[in-house]
Amino acid sequence: MAERFAVLPCNGLDKAVGPLAREIALAVVEACQGELVCPVLFNNLPARYTKALELPLIVIDGCGTRCATKLAGEHELKTARKLQVAEALKLMGESAGESLTPDAQRLALCRLLTERLLSAPEEGTALDSEAAFAEPVEYATVTHDKFIFRIPRQGYLFNENHCWARLAGNRARVGISDYMQQELGDLTFCELPEVGTEVGQFDAVGSVESVKAVSDIISPVSGRVVAVNPAVAETPEIINEDPYVHGWVAELELHDLESDRALLLEGEAYLALVRQKATDYRP
Amino acid sequence: MAESASSKVLVIPCSGIGKVHGLMAREATYRVVEGLEPETSDTLCLALLVKGDEEAVAAVRTRPCITIDGCPKLCSYKNVQLAGGNIAESVRVVDAFKGHKGAQPGTATELAGDGWTITDEIAQQIAARVRELCGGEEQ
Repeated sequence: MAERFAVLPCNGLDKAVGPLAREIALAVVEACQGELVCPVLFNNLPARYTKALELPLIVIDGCGTRCATKLAGEHELKTARKLQVAEALKLMGESAGESLTPDAQRLALCRLLTERLLSAPEEGTALDSEAAFAEPVEYATVTHDKFIFRIPRQGYLFNENHCWARLAGNRARVGISDYMQQELGDLTFCELPEVGTEVGQFDAVGSVESVKAVSDIISPVSGRVVAVNPAVAETPEIINEDPYVHGWVAELELHDLESDRALLLEGEAYLALVRQKATDYRP
Repeated sequence: MAESASSKVLVIPCSGIGKVHGLMAREATYRVVEGLEPETSDTLCLALLVKGDEEAVAAVRTRPCITIDGCPKLCSYKNVQLAGGNIAESVRVVDAFKGHKGAQPGTATELAGDGWTITDEIAQQIAARVRELCGGEEQ
């Protein structure tokens, strides 16, 4: 039988995404024979769930208000897995629709998200890179003299520190951009963060060193480090060769992507930034 | 006549998760705000209220509220009251069972025929109260 979980969903009521969170919560509980934690009753009578919360906890939020996450945080509950349905749907190119009553299409999406949630890996291991981060990357390029800088067109967010986050579900991998690796030159060292580290947006999530300089890797997103890429610590030149896919540094379980996103650049905007930077580029 | 969103009656069920009576409270709410009285009623997420969301607190204080609770813990009623809400009516799903001895409402995830019948009755009762609160001739 699947591992048992306690499931704390949000109330899931007055927005179309709320009932989807509820559907997923019920499906998870049924699939793993777990324990459902009613958020409002838990808020009023936490002792009612003392026994249930001995199980590893899944927190499910519908909208960006993240009531369930806030509730878990206030009661200092350790979260094993987390899902924010609105964000997950957005990443899938889907939406919750308008109705408070989910249609067949949305229920099918709920089943898919339920399966993903239950098959999420244990902390400390990366998501299956062949699945979650395996989508082929389509690049745009900026050319300056003999230098060519690649920028993924979709699926990545960038900060102005030339670091990226690649999104998959409620996780993201982070690394440095092609522009930054070329500016640094041949990398000789990559320092990884420790698994379990809490990282705020724009905190350092490791560093890279080349013959020219040492540079922090500034995380575009906030979250908890759930996996690192030991390959780049052993062989930093992987980052020079393939900065956007095999050159990832750390994988984060996201805390608040919607808020983080407001301060980040999509591929097109980052392309414009690199185009501007490239005119001043001195290797 | 359509009411503005700021004057709609708020129908607020308990969280309604994990128990069939809670599911009935939730479904009755949807019946009212989406089907029977979409122009004069709206719902509000109880979790927002218990987390102290300012807009939610202001809404329950300024608009008439109908609370619906599945179980006797009365989470909706108590939390709306605690927030200083203007409770015009408190509905308990268990009370609706009194006229349906031996009814089999279904499960926490799916209502059966009896469950839908009683849910519809609750929804009609609430819709009538909504109309009354909006100045209609009901009840």
